[in-house]
Amino acid sequence: MSVFKTLGIAAGAAAIAASMVPASASDLTFWSWRQEDKSQYEKYITMFEKDHPDTHIKFKAYEADNYATILSTALAGDQGPDLMMVRAYGAFESVAGPGYLMDLDSKIPALDTFPKAAIKAETLRSDGKVYAVPFASQTMLVMYNKAVFKKNGIEPPKTWDDLMADCKKLKQAGIYPFANGTATAWQNETIVFALGSSIMGKGFYDDLQAGKATFEDPRFVEALAKLDAVKKYFPNGFTGIDYPSSQQLFASGMAGMFAGGSFEIANFKQQNPKLDIGVFPAPPEKTGKDALVSVFYDGGYAANAKTEHPKEALEFLKFLASKKFGQAFANGLGNVSPVPGVQFKSPLLSRIADLNTTSIPYVMLVDFRYEKPSGSVVLQQQIQKMMAGKATPKEVGAKLTKDLATYYKPFQNQ
Amino acid sequence: MTAVDASRNAAARERSGLGVFTQDALLQIFLIANTFIMLFPILVMVLNGFKTNAEIFSSPFALPNFQNLSNFEAIATGTSFVRYLFNSVLVTGLSIGFILILGTMAAYAIARYAFRGSGLLLLFFIAGLTVPLKLAIIPLFILMRDLGLLDTQFSLICVYTAMGLPSTVFIMTGFIRTLPRDLEDAARMDGASEFKIMRSVILPLARPAMVIAAIQNLVPIWNDFFFPLVFIQTESLKTLPQGLTTFMGEYNTNWGVLFAGLTLAAAPITLVYIVLSRQFINGMTSGAVK
Amino acid sequence: MFGMRITRRGLWIACLIVPPVLVLALFTVYPIVTALGYAFFDWNGAAQGDFVFLQNFRDVLFREPFATWTRNAFLHNIVVFAVLMVVQNGIGFLIAYALWRNLPGARFHRVAVFLPVVLSTIIVGFVWKLFFNPLFGLVNQTLRAIGLDMLAQPWLGQSSTALGALILVNAWHWIGFPSLIYLAGMQRIPGEIMDAARMDRDSELSILRRIVWPLIAPSATIVFILTFIGSFNWFELPYIMAGVDGSPYGSTDVLGLYFYRTAFGNQSAGTQDFGHGSALAVITFLFIAVVAGFWTVHLRKREIEL
Repeated sequence: MSVFKTLGIAAGAAAIAASMVPASASDLTFWSWRQEDKSQYEKYITMFEKDHPDTHIKFKAYEADNYATILSTALAGDQGPDLMMVRAYGAFESVAGPGYLMDLDSKIPALDTFPKAAIKAETLRSDGKVYAVPFASQTMLVMYNKAVFKKNGIEPPKTWDDLMADCKKLKQAGIYPFANGTATAWQNETIVFALGSSIMGKGFYDDLQAGKATFEDPRFVEALAKLDAVKKYFPNGFTGIDYPSSQQLFASGMAGMFAGGSFEIANFKQQNPKLDIGVFPAPPEKTGKDALVSVFYDGGYAANAKTEHPKEALEFLKFLASKKFGQAFANGLGNVSPVPGVQFKSPLLSRIADLNTTSIPYVMLVDFRYEKPSGSVVLQQQIQKMMAGKATPKEVGAKLTKDLATYYKPFQNQ
Repeated sequence: MTAVDASRNAAARERSGLGVFTQDALLQIFLIANTFIMLFPILVMVLNGFKTNAEIFSSPFALPNFQNLSNFEAIATGTSFVRYLFNSVLVTGLSIGFILILGTMAAYAIARYAFRGSGLLLLFFIAGLTVPLKLAIIPLFILMRDLGLLDTQFSLICVYTAMGLPSTVFIMTGFIRTLPRDLEDAARMDGASEFKIMRSVILPLARPAMVIAAIQNLVPIWNDFFFPLVFIQTESLKTLPQGLTTFMGEYNTNWGVLFAGLTLAAAPITLVYIVLSRQFINGMTSGAVK
Repeated sequence: MFGMRITRRGLWIACLIVPPVLVLALFTVYPIVTALGYAFFDWNGAAQGDFVFLQNFRDVLFREPFATWTRNAFLHNIVVFAVLMVVQNGIGFLIAYALWRNLPGARFHRVAVFLPVVLSTIIVGFVWKLFFNPLFGLVNQTLRAIGLDMLAQPWLGQSSTALGALILVNAWHWIGFPSLIYLAGMQRIPGEIMDAARMDRDSELSILRRIVWPLIAPSATIVFILTFIGSFNWFELPYIMAGVDGSPYGSTDVLGLYFYRTAFGNQSAGTQDFGHGSALAVITFLFIAVVAGFWTVHLRKREIEL
């Protein structure tokens, strides 16, 4: 590389070389897929550099859709960054598995205080070691338009029957009860858990984990049946309504509720700053049963195993695991940070953090996105089919179990 | 259509009497209907660019207030549209430049010098016509990574040049072969170098074929979306079709702005096409009717 | 130039042909050949793993549920091809014939029919996607405006209409191409032949069938082969309008989408796998090459026979 530099080769190659090889001993690169958070991250980096004047970190964000490809090919070609954001679960393993990431086990004391589920998201299953500092959790729940609810005299539902009654009222008032559509495949996964988590219940998830239940379990099938029943309160032609259109229906106030992820809130606020959003967990069958949300971790911060500055990289990761950063992250980006002890200024955010204490994991992402076919791929297709009236909840459960059984041992003997 | 055609058709009409008029009327109605179907969606796209969301949803067929340019302003000020446009012009221009230079070089060698393997070489280029390069995207991606060209516009130019060469060599070889050799022989008599002969004798004569080759490559390269999708990440390097997808994602709920953006994105090539429609149609169909 | 003597002429020729050959070799031949090689390896994302020989091919062709997905995508490609042959090329032929009659305004009609061809698939796809929106789209708004509320449907959202809608958009986009290729073929028919036929007072339909159609056989060959290759390379339009999953539930899935999704992953659902992806690419490529090759030979023979 230094030969390249002294020769001063063609501009393009030089620019690439410059981005890979630090000019001075303490220049580090930091890659991300959060293009929209660039200015915030630059602030965090300034915070860090104040205490570490000799270390300079350069933030570079790529388009989210192609980030995985870019990162893994760069790492495979020894052209990866010093520091990077990695995803969680299966997508994390495709980067951590080949040994590209620095092992963080017992190097960052603060990680011991993180929630177990957060650490699990960034732990390689084969060696049980953690390779990244988890940064945010997302919650699947129902968002509702407070003004619309108030105007129609309805309250956030406590039970499934309440929900159906609320929907009926809204529909009679000429408002779409739900804004959701099913034309965009991944939306079919979010609605299952935003609406069905409490019907499935914690017991189902524990049995699934223990290998004692499959997706043919009546509790899971019942959750799908409830979803199938509530679809009459989705907009006309919802099978043709894609993700942007349903966001629009909710943001514009044409619909009362949106079943989805907490990551939508920032977007809704941006589209319609006057929108007053409330949230509630998936309603259970009866009062007295747990009302659950479902939670997953977005990703984590990791260091390159081959970085020329392991010490500086580790320092930066320690900073990212600190309460100081966690607080700034929650304030600046409006996400629920997993760093213990972080206070949430926004009431909505702190409500979501509260709800997270009674939750199940976002099953397909957390447990079934390690191999092909991923649980998400099958579920999304099958739910899309069910919502179009071309499959029954039972058939969906059977198909899921059968397709995942091709590699998931506990399903094979059942 | 030539004058001969016209007079022949007129003659045919006279001979077979009224039947032909009915036929002509039916065909004319068919053509008008077809043209309406072709143009109406484009017209609606343009008109919607001047409307607000509410206007599009409530009165889709009404004429807009053409003074309302706020959607277009949003694009000019809030997006990198101009940057995308510049990138597309740059990438397309350079690619076509390389295609013409390299294609003419190969075609000239094949058409004018009898060397061993020249037939095989032509076949090699023509075989390239049939390769769906999209399917080789994985190796191309890794190749670009290893060459350090990922996320640079040069990666696109390389691929487009390789994609455009086969048809260009094919067209140019055919054309140069039809040119008389007298001028070259005369120049050679005068002691001109081979390079000079190519540059000042052949190139001027081959210009019509070069225009055809350029237009044939212009549309697919200008409109390509697949290769930038995989190769280019940096916002400021994106081409127009790729930038359009980013922009469609950002403004996905403001239809007026979306239609305005689509209109602006369609405008450059549409205007060039309207001005040069004869050359476009000849260029794009000529490879096929050879 | 292969001998010992390096002549000035040899050098000059080498200067002319080496650069273009290199570009084509590096950016076309090499990737295609390597794609074949990649298909024999196991891949961990974008990192090459062990040599697994035919395992990837076995997986995508015979192992469930991949085999069903491959078959499903392949069948859709066939549907696309068949419908485009009839709709796009059939109507294209009619348009060509109508334009050939040189009625008043023919020039304008010719420019109009070719206009969508110069537009990017991205633009065409997005515009029509907005038009097909079930609530606010032009298509349903038009149906409601003329009192056909019954017919207003989520066109892209139901398996019965989604693929059809996409194919019609494709036909709208490309119909100018076969039209003008046929037209160019018709314009090459010598006037005397047409005059002679019309002298015989043959009906126009039989003239079309017996004289025009055989004489434009070379144009038909080109149109057919390009339609075939285009149908099996279909990617941009379904990607924009139906998404990378071929929504709804795979009813618009085609080999191009399936290949892209497998190779580069689907950020919100799947994993990234160059091994299966390469196997799919090789299978698609071989299928296109073999069928297009044989069919071209067959069509060329037909040109001579007719």
